[in-house]
Amino acid sequence: MQILEIFSSKLPVGEDLVIKKSRFEANSNLQNSKRISIVSGIHGDELEGQYVTYLLAAWLKANPDTLRGTIDIYPGINALGIDSITRGFPLYEVDLNRVFPGGEDEFLPGQLVHALALDVKGSDIAIDIHSSNIFLREIPQIRINKEFSNATLPLAKELNCDFIWIHDAITVLEATFSHTLNTMGTKTLVVEMGVGMRLTQEYGLQLLKGILNLMQKEGIIQTQEVFEVREPFSSEVGDVYYLNSPCSGLFVAALSHCDVIKKDDKIGDIVNPLNGEIFETMYAPHDGILFTLREYPVVYEGSLIARIFGGNDAEN
Amino acid sequence: MQKIEIIKITSLNREPLVVEGYFFQGSDPKAPSVAIVGAMEGKTILPLYTASKLVDFLQNSLSDSKKILGNILIIPSINHYALNINERFWPLDKTNLNMMFPGYDKGETTQRITKKVFDAIQGYTHGVILETRDDLSTCMPYVKEFKSGFEDLEDAKKFGLKIIHYKDLKPTDTVSLQYNWQLWETKAHSIVCPSTTELQVDSDEIFEALVNFLNKNNILQHKFLGGYESTIITNEDMLIVKTPNSGIFVPIKKIGTQVKENEVIGQIIHALEGKVVHKIIAPCNGVITCSYKNALIFENAVAFRIAKNS
Ligand SMILES: [Zn+2]
Repeated sequence: MQILEIFSSKLPVGEDLVIKKSRFEANSNLQNSKRISIVSGIHGDELEGQYVTYLLAAWLKANPDTLRGTIDIYPGINALGIDSITRGFPLYEVDLNRVFPGGEDEFLPGQLVHALALDVKGSDIAIDIHSSNIFLREIPQIRINKEFSNATLPLAKELNCDFIWIHDAITVLEATFSHTLNTMGTKTLVVEMGVGMRLTQEYGLQLLKGILNLMQKEGIIQTQEVFEVREPFSSEVGDVYYLNSPCSGLFVAALSHCDVIKKDDKIGDIVNPLNGEIFETMYAPHDGILFTLREYPVVYEGSLIARIFGGNDAEN
Repeated sequence: MQKIEIIKITSLNREPLVVEGYFFQGSDPKAPSVAIVGAMEGKTILPLYTASKLVDFLQNSLSDSKKILGNILIIPSINHYALNINERFWPLDKTNLNMMFPGYDKGETTQRITKKVFDAIQGYTHGVILETRDDLSTCMPYVKEFKSGFEDLEDAKKFGLKIIHYKDLKPTDTVSLQYNWQLWETKAHSIVCPSTTELQVDSDEIFEALVNFLNKNNILQHKFLGGYESTIITNEDMLIVKTPNSGIFVPIKKIGTQVKENEVIGQIIHALEGKVVHKIIAPCNGVITCSYKNALIFENAVAFRIAKNS
């Protein structure tokens, strides 16, 4: 295993900003061997990906003989943000996932993402692990842009996630890591799971298994171990229902995340801490799986409370 | 003048956010109209100051209210919640309102806010958005015009500001107010204001530009001393001057000054040892349009932008 610097910049006062990756590769040069890149921490308030890259690096260290390709791990892209609980790039206050592909001549955040894009370029597969944000908790899911779904959907199914959400192309999302790398010919998948500022260990282990399974299927690792993965439900076979708060207040959830729910089940109350009243009680608009649930209790009118996937076979 | 409530949104512990527009009915029904949007984000003051000054001017300084020919709507601030606590974006989820257009009435909080704003400013002939730069620099006031296919540069010249920066459209610009407003057939322009947090002696420059713009478009019968003949500048006309070193940035030349090729225009000082580690040299004859605004500067950061003399 090698530790490599992919970007460095001298900060104004006695410190370097250094972005690192670890590289695991087969000892002998194998022909046609594939390369996979695992990226996390583009958003500084999301840590679930760092747990997954820890688990993966530990597994690869323990099983060096399995390597048949190259695995690059980039755990903390927004290093300044992660270590200061800041989602965006500190000071510039920009979302790094809105400044791709960046460029050498751009501002510091643009230079950083440019270095990342160039370094990942040439990988056969890239996985960008996000953990929602501090407001919402998500079940392990893959987000796929329809434009690239022919190439990426088959890979997504190997990743042991619960849900695959295929969305339409949106211009503003062209400035993301995944769009940039997909355009450069790397099959890139976005994982969303868990919640910001926390680790959900069970999800980390679940995704680790999925990544190992995908690497095995792609010939990047070779092992006798069998990685049994779950079959995800997909947005192709149903609809996503959004539930936004009708008013501002304190959200108190009535059920747990990931439940299978029925139409009109109570999801929670928006309450008034001053006088003990309930402003509004929220009910499920449809049968389905509650795959997104509000974690951060402070809500304004419009704040997302829940997303429900109501598939044709949601009850199965 | 009539106050129009555009948004009222409650909060868990703060008093409700009430956004109002100041509407001045024109005396000539055939005259063109204008809507002006002030502060969409906090941490800067000129968009707010300029818009509120225009409200006062239209209400209290005209000898005859009939001099207002066309309808004028001014929304001095949308984001009081951010301004009051020196946040830049929407305080809860830190989203940038100017990346939420055209808005959505069933969406997230900030999409609902921008939807209501967007509805209120529909149908005006002209639109003006008062902004500040979104990087760590400050600048001469200039008109920012996207190459969107709907832009009107002749109209942009009527502000009489020295520079019109004619920019390529980035993917993230497609969710800005300017782009969406133009798409809905308003001649929308952004004026990028200096990113100052304190008012200066020349703080009225943008206010005067607005009044002259209204005058040239026959919306208002009042004018100040004429402005400049604007120069349209694209990225090819600008030289970017970077610092190879990080450290403490000491600008020597101010924004708006003419500089000569090879002249020292700034210095970078080692932050711990005090010595000069880099002298920033002007690469051409021209005027400084933009300068880094913080004292601590990153490596390879843009210290100055210079518009070349032609
Ligand atoms: Zn994220």
